[in-house]
Amino acid sequence: MSQQKLITLAEAVRRYTHDGIQYASGAALPVGSDAVVFGRELLRQGRKNLHAIFHCNTQQLNLLAGAGAVTKAECGFSGLEVFGFANGLRRAVESGQTALEDYSNLAMALRLLGGALNWPFVPATVNIGSDIQHRSAFAPDDYPAKSKIPTVTDPFSGREIGAFSPLRPEVAAIHVSLADPLGNAILLGTEWSRFELARAAQKVVLIADAIVDTDCMRQYPNLVRIPDVIVDAVVYHPFAAWPQSSPGFYDADEAHMKSMNKSLSSVEGTADYLREHVTGIDDIDAYLDNIGRDKVAELSDTATAFLLAPFRQWIKTPAEVAALLAETTEETAA
Amino acid sequence: MNAPQTSTQLEQQPYTRQEMMAIATGRELHDGELAIFGVGLSMLAGYFAQAHHAPRLRSMTEGGVYGATPVGGLPWGIECNRISANATSFTNAIDALGFLVASGRCDVGIIGAAQVDKFGNVNTTGIWDGDIGDSYRLPKTRLTGAGGANDIACGAGRVVIMVTHEPKRFADKVSYISSPGYLDGGAARERYGFVGGGPSAIVTTLGILRPDPVTKEFFLDAYYAFSSVEEIRAATGWDLKVSPNVRVVPEPTQEELAALRQVDATGALRKR
Repeated sequence: MSQQKLITLAEAVRRYTHDGIQYASGAALPVGSDAVVFGRELLRQGRKNLHAIFHCNTQQLNLLAGAGAVTKAECGFSGLEVFGFANGLRRAVESGQTALEDYSNLAMALRLLGGALNWPFVPATVNIGSDIQHRSAFAPDDYPAKSKIPTVTDPFSGREIGAFSPLRPEVAAIHVSLADPLGNAILLGTEWSRFELARAAQKVVLIADAIVDTDCMRQYPNLVRIPDVIVDAVVYHPFAAWPQSSPGFYDADEAHMKSMNKSLSSVEGTADYLREHVTGIDDIDAYLDNIGRDKVAELSDTATAFLLAPFRQWIKTPAEVAALLAETTEETAA
Repeated sequence: MNAPQTSTQLEQQPYTRQEMMAIATGRELHDGELAIFGVGLSMLAGYFAQAHHAPRLRSMTEGGVYGATPVGGLPWGIECNRISANATSFTNAIDALGFLVASGRCDVGIIGAAQVDKFGNVNTTGIWDGDIGDSYRLPKTRLTGAGGANDIACGAGRVVIMVTHEPKRFADKVSYISSPGYLDGGAARERYGFVGGGPSAIVTTLGILRPDPVTKEFFLDAYYAFSSVEEIRAATGWDLKVSPNVRVVPEPTQEELAALRQVDATGALRKR
C-alpha cells in the first residue's frame, strides 16, 4: 500500500541533500518549469559544493552558481533563452569557481535515459566531432578528451561513434504541475526529460504547484508520467518555478526574470538578491508576499489557464494540504 | 545631434535588417516539411514561414511542443507559455531532438550563432583569447552552450544558420565548435556519419551565404537591397568569395511583412 509522502520544503532539503551532493533538478528548463524554490531552500540551509546536473540552466542554477554553491555542473544549455546569458552561472564559470561540463540537450536526456536503464553507456551520434566531444572542463588536460565522450566502434557497422556516460544523480527535485499525496504526478507543458530523470535519480522529490486527490490520477492514468512507486517525497509549493512559468498555473515574471539575472551579475547584487528574495522567506505565505500578491494574481491570469480545467475539481485547498501534512508529520513521529 | 528616432521616423522605415533576415530565413522553409526551431529569432522566422507561404509546414520546437503558434509575441523559450497556450502535443526532449531529429526524419532546422566560420561551424559556447590550446582553459566570456543546436546540426536534413553580420561573429575558424557545420571542409562530416546534411545557408542581417558543393566553404550568394558586396566582405572575418551570379534578394512583400509582424506581435525584430 502506497503511503502519503507530503513533507515541507525545508524538511525535504534537510532529509535528502548534503554538501557535495550530486543534485539534479527538473524539468530544468530556462523559462518554463523548474523546481526553483528548492534551490532557494538549499541556499537557506547553506548547502555548498554542489555537483549540479541540470538538463538546461535555469534561474535556480543561475542563483546557486551565482551564490557560490556549485563546484561542478553539467548542462546541455547554459543560458536563459530569450532572457540572455545566465549572469550568475557565467560569472562562476569565468572565475573558475564552477567547472561547467558541456553537452547538448539531446545528450543530457540520453544520459539520463542511460542511467534509468542502468546501461553502461549510451551510443552517441551527436556531439561527436565537435569540441563538446574533444574538450572537458572536468579533465582539462585530457585533449582530445577520452574520459568524456570517448570514441567507440559500432560492433555491427564498424562505424566510429561516441559513448555517453549514464547519469544517476543522488537526488532529483522535480517540478510537476499536479501531484497527489502519494507521489503520482501530472506534468503540463513539455515534460522535457522529467520522465527519464525520475527513473535515473536515486531519490526523487516532487515539487508540485498543486496537490490533487488520487481520484484525479485514476481519471487520467495515461497522463501520470511519474508514478508514486519511484517517488520518495512530495512537497506542495505554489509558484514553485517563479520567476519562470508553469503552464496552466502562471506565466513567466518578465520583470523579475530580468532583474534577478541582473542582480546575479555581481557579488554585491547577488548578496542583495539573497537578502531580499531568499533569506528568511521560510514559508509559503512569506514567499507569496515576497513575490507580491498583486503580481501573483497578474501572473495567474495566464492564457494557458484552460489547461488546468479538467483537473481543477480535484485540487486541494491550502488548508486541506496543511491537514494532510500534519497527518504525515504525526505518522513520522509515531 | 543624435536625437532619438520619433515614432513617425520608425514608421517610415519599411522594414528592419532583422526583419529582412527573418523573412529571408523563412523563405528557406517549404510547405509540408518537418521543421524544428531553436530559441529566439529563429522561432519567429519559422512561424513566419508557417503563417505566410508554408501553411502545412509541420513545426516543432526542440522542447517537444507541437502544432503551436505564438500568442502574445516572441516566445521566451522553446517551452514557454506563449507557445503552450495552443499546442496540440507536448512531448519531451528525446522525442523532439531524438526520435524526430537524430533519426533523420526532420527536413530542416533553424539555429542561431554567436560566431560562425567559413565552413559553417557554429560557436555558442565561449570566447577565448586566441586559440584555446591543447588543454581546456577558462573562456574570457562564457556564452550559452550548444543547447539543442548541436543535435539539430548533426541530424536535420539541412540547417539554416541565422546570425547578425559583424566581423567578430564571422571568423576564419571559430574558437570552439559547439555545433558542427562542415568541420574543416570537404568531406570532413563523413568521418562522423551524421545523418544530417549540414548547413545549407547562413542567413545574416546583410545577405545570404551558401556552401561550395565541393570545398564546403561558404560564399556570398546574395545581398539585400540595403547592403552591398563590399559591406558584406568588410563585415566578414575571412576572405569571402563572391558568387559570379551574386544577386539581390527580393525585398519583403507587404504580405510577408504583415505575416511576420503578426507573429512578432511585440516587435522584437523592429527594435534594432
